[in-house]
Amino acid sequence: MRRVAITGIGVVSPLGGDAASFFEALAAGRSAVRRLEGRYHERLTTRVGAPAPFDGASHFPAPKLRMLDRVSQLALVAAAQALEEAKGALEGVDPKRAGVFVGTGMGGAQTTDEGYHTIYAESSDRVKPFSVLMAMNNAAASWIGLEHGLRGPNLTYSTACSSSAVAIGEAARRIAAGEADVMIAGGAEAPLNFGTLKAWDAMRTLAPEDPDDPSASCKPFAKDRSGLVLGEGAAMVVLEDAGRAAARGARVRAELAGYGLATDGEHITRPTVAGQALTLRRALEDAGIEAASVDYINAHGTGTQANDAVETAAIKEVFGERAYRIPVSSTKSMHGHLLGAAGALEFVAALLAMETKVVPPTINLRVRDPECDLDYVSEGARGVAKLAVALSSSFAFGGTNAVLIARTET
Amino acid sequence: MTTLERLRELLARDFALKPEALVPGATLESLDIDSLRMIEILFCVEDEFKIAVSAEQSELRARLKTLGDLAAYIDTLVAEKQKAAT
Repeated sequence: MRRVAITGIGVVSPLGGDAASFFEALAAGRSAVRRLEGRYHERLTTRVGAPAPFDGASHFPAPKLRMLDRVSQLALVAAAQALEEAKGALEGVDPKRAGVFVGTGMGGAQTTDEGYHTIYAESSDRVKPFSVLMAMNNAAASWIGLEHGLRGPNLTYSTACSSSAVAIGEAARRIAAGEADVMIAGGAEAPLNFGTLKAWDAMRTLAPEDPDDPSASCKPFAKDRSGLVLGEGAAMVVLEDAGRAAARGARVRAELAGYGLATDGEHITRPTVAGQALTLRRALEDAGIEAASVDYINAHGTGTQANDAVETAAIKEVFGERAYRIPVSSTKSMHGHLLGAAGALEFVAALLAMETKVVPPTINLRVRDPECDLDYVSEGARGVAKLAVALSSSFAFGGTNAVLIARTET
Repeated sequence: MTTLERLRELLARDFALKPEALVPGATLESLDIDSLRMIEILFCVEDEFKIAVSAEQSELRARLKTLGDLAAYIDTLVAEKQKAAT
């Protein structure tokens, strides 16, 4: 099996439109969560979210823009950034051995929402002719492949909140197996339209607005945590055969060392300790490292009662006594839950933590929960002496769990 | 404004086509207007001229080769609509 190098990172997030501004905000403990002011949003029971400060019109000419749902716009910009950073990753590569794997939960949900608004709310038959092409779940991945002329595998993974962790892990497998040389992998999500928000609202899983500070509404691992907050954005990485990356003198950000995939198999939403623990163990096994080598965990940490307690228990089961000495943070407290893009964005957060040796904090954790008793870095960002192995967890509705491990020292 | 002028304005504004290329004899092919793009242009034309283009794709392809053809076709539809209204 070949080793997999990460040579490019691209981010369009609620906390900033590139990787540097994203991580700077994380390290400063800044939250992008706020009250949503869009059309019909006053009808939401809970109306906080983490929108990305992103205007497609400043990235695409009008004719192109009209063919792209917001989710594809975000994905294309993040992918272009990642390729730009990976300078020359596609030069000299056989396009038939370069591909794109993207994770998204809701795909072009905004187009669907607007189309339904037209036909139902406005009683009009004037549905946009490109609605299908904009809303289809594989649009984002397809556009990235088209834009960069990639003719290898182009796949879209939709496993809810683990979609993009799966996309990255599966892409790495293709490279490791020698089936592809360069892959663009990540996720994108744009769920802040009214229809999608209302559906989440109806599930009663969204955190109500914090009465004192809307930006503090998402409280992962806290006793008073009350649900998740939805966010939008995209994150992409460029993965390359490590030998090729070394030969071309590429700046290797980290090695994608391990990928674990397993399914709870018990309930459509309720997570299980066994399922999460199995996924963590598989990732460690795949990376060929001991649990003791992990220096940082970017947790799934949604801020729901169920996830955070189960995740804490799963970490303790796998890491034993050492669980208490590994910094574990949920950056969702700041950028919200990006659903299909969450795994990729949080994996990037872990990569940047390794690069800077700064562990981003879990904000809004003031009231301790005896069930959540790990080191969640709640005091603010923490500089550390060693951060060579980082792990990022993604656990999903439907039960498909994915864990990614990156390392900088071999 | 003539139909052609309105059409040129719409194509330049919404589809980023160069105004100087939008002459009556310009073929749709030379303007890079493929069948998919044409569907969207017709959608905008329907809004702009308050008409309905009900013809099938194959009929449109046979009938519309140039920008001038499209302008003339729009004129026909507008005239038919006015006639139906009177």
